[in-house]
Amino acid sequence: MPPETATARRSRWRAALRPGNAGVVYALLLIVAVLTLLSAQLGRPPYLSATNIINILDQSSLIAILAVFTTVVLISGNFDLSVASVAAFSAATVLSLVAPLGLPVAMAVALGAGLVCGAVNGLIVQLVGINAFIVTLGTMTAVRGLVLILTDGRTITAEDPGAQSSLIALQAGYWTVPHVLAIAGVAAAAAGVAVLLRRSRSAGIALLVAGVAAIALSPVFGFELRLSKPTYYLIVIAGITWAVLRYTVIGRRLYAVGANAEAARLSGINVNRYRIGAFVLNGLGSGFVGILFAAKLLAINPTGLQGTELTVLAAAILGGTSLFGGLGSVLKSVVGALILFTLDNGFNVLNLGANYQGVIVGTVVVVAAAIYTVAGRQRQVKRVRESSKPQVPVRQEALR
Amino acid sequence: MHAAMVDAAGTPLLSLEGIGKEFPNGTVALRDARLTVHPGSVHGLVGANGAGKSTMIKVIAGAHPPTSGVVRWKGEEIDWRTPGAARKAGVATIMQHVPLAPTLTVLENVFLGTGGPWRLPRSRRAEFARLLERVGYAIDPDAEVADLAIGERQMVAILQALATGAELVVMDEPTASLAEGERQVVFDVVRRLSAQGTAFLYVSHFLDEVLSLTDRVTVLRDGTVVAEGATAGYDEDRLVQAIVGRDLLGVERRSAEPVAPDAPVLLSVRGLSSAAGVREVSFEARAGEVIGLAGLLGSGRSEILHAVYGADPRASGEVRVEGRPVRRTPRAAVAAGMALVPEDRGSQGLVNTFPIWKNISLPDLASLSSGRSLPREPDERGRARRAIADLGIVCAGPDALPTELSGGNAQKVVFGKWLYGGARVFMLDEPTAGVDVGAKADILELVRRFAAGGGAVLVVSSEFEEILAVATRVLVVREGRIVAERAAHETSEEELLMLANGFGEGGAHDAA
Repeated sequence: MPPETATARRSRWRAALRPGNAGVVYALLLIVAVLTLLSAQLGRPPYLSATNIINILDQSSLIAILAVFTTVVLISGNFDLSVASVAAFSAATVLSLVAPLGLPVAMAVALGAGLVCGAVNGLIVQLVGINAFIVTLGTMTAVRGLVLILTDGRTITAEDPGAQSSLIALQAGYWTVPHVLAIAGVAAAAAGVAVLLRRSRSAGIALLVAGVAAIALSPVFGFELRLSKPTYYLIVIAGITWAVLRYTVIGRRLYAVGANAEAARLSGINVNRYRIGAFVLNGLGSGFVGILFAAKLLAINPTGLQGTELTVLAAAILGGTSLFGGLGSVLKSVVGALILFTLDNGFNVLNLGANYQGVIVGTVVVVAAAIYTVAGRQRQVKRVRESSKPQVPVRQEALR
Repeated sequence: MHAAMVDAAGTPLLSLEGIGKEFPNGTVALRDARLTVHPGSVHGLVGANGAGKSTMIKVIAGAHPPTSGVVRWKGEEIDWRTPGAARKAGVATIMQHVPLAPTLTVLENVFLGTGGPWRLPRSRRAEFARLLERVGYAIDPDAEVADLAIGERQMVAILQALATGAELVVMDEPTASLAEGERQVVFDVVRRLSAQGTAFLYVSHFLDEVLSLTDRVTVLRDGTVVAEGATAGYDEDRLVQAIVGRDLLGVERRSAEPVAPDAPVLLSVRGLSSAAGVREVSFEARAGEVIGLAGLLGSGRSEILHAVYGADPRASGEVRVEGRPVRRTPRAAVAAGMALVPEDRGSQGLVNTFPIWKNISLPDLASLSSGRSLPREPDERGRARRAIADLGIVCAGPDALPTELSGGNAQKVVFGKWLYGGARVFMLDEPTAGVDVGAKADILELVRRFAAGGGAVLVVSSEFEEILAVATRVLVVREGRIVAERAAHETSEEELLMLANGFGEGGAHDAA
């Protein structure tokens, strides 16, 4: 069996970088470039400063984490509107339990609450067979009602100093990664060795050389990475989720379930398990984000996070996730969230007035969806045309 | 019957001359086909699956413009480009799955196409009453269509057709899912209306119905008309002969001798029943056997396969593979070594967003993965390349999407899913539907290979010639039951067609 040719691999890279696939990344770069130029033009402080980037990443991290898990649910072919209510419920839970029980127990209860909410969503949608939109619209409202009951309509705050400090430790502050270039170099070199062992010579050597070069250059060009804790949480969560979806059997089957549930079922995949699992994961993720939110504000009011579910969905749509299942990438959804917060931040920096923001953001979301739809359609037409042309003479031969 | 109404000398209501239809993908569905329908006559259109009946109906209904030929309506040449144009001229088509609005009432559905600013003018009720009287049928105008039985919906569709003033009603398999009593109602209405001057084009697999109901009959085979004439000149035998023909597919008949009686039993099914229409089905399949399930559309053939495979959660009964009972889920079935090639490859067999290699590895992904959890992409691609070479799949490579393939090649990809994973019991539901002749021969060869490799194969097909070409044993299915069993080398298409129609010893079916 011939190994895959280098050209095939290269063409796959090229496909991944096409605007139809990586458009959201280009859009982010474009927006950042425009904002940078504008702020320079208007004599504002430089837009592309380390402080501002770290700021945007920190601001978008909670929404981006929610978008990662929502993307998983969307890929599985379902829909979840209840994330913001579940996060608020989890925040209220952790704030009311942290003083009497301590942070670990309070966190465990809050995560458990999120998990239960996700499981309820999944079980009703999959086993009773009600449309996910309706079910999660219901749980969104009902869980918001639980928040009201729990808070009795008032804002809950963590007043106990011990509780406060433990919550602050969870989310405030920055971690610094030193010698980033050296670490990246070591990682690249290790990956190069791994690739070499798996028989692909040229790519392995290239990675190895790049890695060694990076290590060698790090004393001169080395830099350190200083990001907020939630940003690290986001990086770890998005990285793990991406790897699971990209490289594991679970990921492959999840995409199959979302794209064609009947074909997946007849191929021996337990469709219910995967779809319920996605909901449970989403509930758990919402619970976690709720804890971070509580730790950030040290308070939650009964309407806290209301409407956030739509921002999360907008991020996923910007990232090109299909609402019909089977298509989507958690990394692109994260970039989608970054776009939303970059715009937000840009309006503040440029002092453009928040009144226009809704119009602009809404337009961006619809335009993005339109571009994905039209690009997807054209690609399909083109592929069919390309593949049907040479087929006629070949077919005669193959069947002889 | 209504011979008096058929005035062969008068202008025909509808005539098709030299109609050809070629689809963009190269399939030729009709060549030089003709059809003449006279006012007030009931005209039967019969033919095997894929003979071109549906295409002809669609040409008449204006849904597919013909590639060549002339369509005349009342003697004038016409060129209907949309179904709306045909309907306006007086042709109403009732498709197999009746497209009614289930949330509206009978009255609203019947007058759905009729304009006017108000939802329900009073005059409509009077008009509806006149319609019912004409048809000789009674139905509550305010009943919601969702609450009606299928037969009643069929009647609503007929009323709808009449309300638009149709002079020709085209009915595609109107009785396929009807109970006996409901069929009679449809027949009575057709007879009554044709006596009043409405013409019918009646498409059916059920030859007994065609024989008792129609005045004239046209037989299609491979897109051309092979027989036509007054129905009185035909009996079942002659119709069957015409439908089957002699030399159509070029499929070699090579039905093997029965396998040795001591061959191990791979699959045993006991008392399988389901609400989906499977009744007390029991059979065994031995290694090396190809069992054909022969039955008409709607006879429950596919339902039997789905019940055996565990894909039908309502089924009850026992399924054993190599002596071990199998739990009733597709997952357990796959683990036990069963494989299903479903009828509708687009919606049941393939994930259209996955390239070929991901589709082929899907059922057996765990064994192509490190630690059963990390898929090894090179191995998956290798398997796809092997399938492409073994099965002669014409495609751009393992990265092609299923939507880029022709029907036959897409079907081979579905076969490829099950080829290398150790499956031993293969269930194939209409494996050659919508597949061109060359690919058909390839696929039948593949079926023989499955069996020769020590597997057991169940094949469902409405093309009995095809069943006889591959099967060692044939089970005839009618109304969800196995009504007869034949060794393939001892039977014929004619006999199978008779048995599947309910003629012969299997229990007389009286539709007249």
